[in-house]
Amino acid sequence: MRRAKPLQIRDEALPLRVTLMVNDGPPAPTDVEVVARVLGGDGEAFGILIRRYEPGLLRFATRMLGNPDAAADAVAESLVRAYRHLAQCRDPARLRSWLYRITGNRCRSHLARRRTNDISLSEAPPLADASDSWAVLERGEQVALVERALNALPAEKREAFVLKHVEGMSYEEMAAVTGARIPTLKMRVHRAREALLAALEELV
Amino acid sequence: MMAMSPIDPRLQEALDGERDPGTLPMDLREAYARLMGAANLLQTLPAVSVAARVMAEIHDLKPEVQSVRPARRLMRWLARPRAVTLRLRPAWTLALVAGLAAILLIPTQPTNRPSPGAHEGIAQFVGHFPGARSVEVVGSFNDWSRGSLHLRDEHHDGIWHGAAVLPAGPHEYMFIVDGERWVPDPLAGRYVDDGFGAGRENSLLIVRPAQASLDEDATPR
Amino acid sequence: MRVALVLVLIAAPLAAQNGGGAASRLAGRVPPAALPAIDSLIAAAVAESLPSEPLVQKALEGSAKGVPTDRLVNGVRRSLLQLREARIIVGRAMPDQPAPEAHVAAVSAALARGLGPAIVERLLTVAPNEPPGPVLHAAADLVAHRFNPDSAADLLVEAHNKGLHGMRLLDVAVAADHELQRAGGRTHADALARVRALLPNVPTAEVPAAVTRRRTKGS
Repeated sequence: MRRAKPLQIRDEALPLRVTLMVNDGPPAPTDVEVVARVLGGDGEAFGILIRRYEPGLLRFATRMLGNPDAAADAVAESLVRAYRHLAQCRDPARLRSWLYRITGNRCRSHLARRRTNDISLSEAPPLADASDSWAVLERGEQVALVERALNALPAEKREAFVLKHVEGMSYEEMAAVTGARIPTLKMRVHRAREALLAALEELV
Repeated sequence: MMAMSPIDPRLQEALDGERDPGTLPMDLREAYARLMGAANLLQTLPAVSVAARVMAEIHDLKPEVQSVRPARRLMRWLARPRAVTLRLRPAWTLALVAGLAAILLIPTQPTNRPSPGAHEGIAQFVGHFPGARSVEVVGSFNDWSRGSLHLRDEHHDGIWHGAAVLPAGPHEYMFIVDGERWVPDPLAGRYVDDGFGAGRENSLLIVRPAQASLDEDATPR
Repeated sequence: MRVALVLVLIAAPLAAQNGGGAASRLAGRVPPAALPAIDSLIAAAVAESLPSEPLVQKALEGSAKGVPTDRLVNGVRRSLLQLREARIIVGRAMPDQPAPEAHVAAVSAALARGLGPAIVERLLTVAPNEPPGPVLHAAADLVAHRFNPDSAADLLVEAHNKGLHGMRLLDVAVAADHELQRAGGRTHADALARVRALLPNVPTAEVPAAVTRRRTKGS
């Protein structure tokens, strides 16, 4: 994928309008290319994939686990596992789905080992005054309220909502990530929306 | 306890990108904005990074990932054979035992003799197939591929034998007689259904480390 | 009779220790019609943190045997289900840590040999930090020879407590079988009692004199 900024120059001396393409730098390697390099022995190239996918995976895991430290552990474990089994990713063009699938499973394992899905009260940020309107709340307070509502969802619905509306996945990609059928995923997302709307209306 | 009520299908369609939210009535548009706003708030990217930690751990794993191609085991001669447990059948067992004893006790030619590694042992295969033209062994240790472990009937008495250095631990295998007849090893003593629904069984061999002091089991890959 | 011992070249997929290289190992071996389904099953194992090598092996085995496509896929699927069951069992025996892949693979192999989940779980708890393969196979050997599963587990636990670990536990099973086969006949209970009396000085397995032995099933 070539990144370039077109410059259109009108120069009176030139009879024609000239468009110059300025290249920002070498094109970023595709996932397929990076995977091939890693499997060829260039382990350092895996860093490209980490930088490319780590932010999204960390965000996904944080939303699933409600705890940034646990999320970091889950994502680190997932990336190491992905590296070890990279040769088994038969379709590197769909690497993103594969990475999210591994991370989703890791998160489910973490959740299963916990006694409760809720973040502990000591970890929860203080709730804003319920009499304040949404618009009055600081952004951080709004985030905390939404996080609390999200954490109250069952894990499957939470995952579906996060993949759909936070990670921006299509239902097809969500099916590849979760292994669930599309109608099932739609139902989970729909129920998650209903629960979140109700929760948001109660909290504020 | 949250009270959930079903969302208007038109709102669900808009949230799924199947309807223009501008066509929604005002109350649904507010709900749409609230949910999308909540989703936007959740899109904050964490400030942490696990890159250094992952790269450090990967660095230790490097050799394993790089060995993508199968490793080859060198041909090795026994310096001192190790005992294996055999289950013997009647009738022809005496001759077999004598032959086997010869196999086990007579040292081979003192050529290059690397010993099995710390987590390897000797697997010996013996079968009675009179009249067979060929007998080979396929199993988990050679990806069930033909051509790598042929037994020999040097005295043309129907007793086929061979051996291999294998990782210590369990290995499933079968004999292939005359290139087409799949037969479990009658001397294996352990058998396991192969799981393909036809009632066929694989033989199971557990290779012990050649170094008797090692109790560690090289568990299945 | 002098017989030369011939050792042969084995091309062993060392990379399979981590399930690496599955795609290249299956290509050209597994029928194309079965490949997508098998790939999906292997990918599921990887994503679920289950060992994938048993599935790769089952796919290669069935392909080599010429198993029809639907039964080939079912065989691999069955292996995956067995791994999932194995992980549940390991999780119950070792609740405070993630189930080690090697333990899951060993338990799956024991289940395939017909060992019951309760016995497996009990034996896992005896020495959770040791590779479980030998004790599980020893138990499967005893059960295959019609020893009572609980009594077999009792013997192995006692043997372990008396210092017999790893492959030496297989010797316990062999000794019990030899006691059973002695001329004059013995009951299973007698055989176990005699072996118990020998502990920990159970003989190391060696080539026996001609012993008549019936074929036993491991599953």
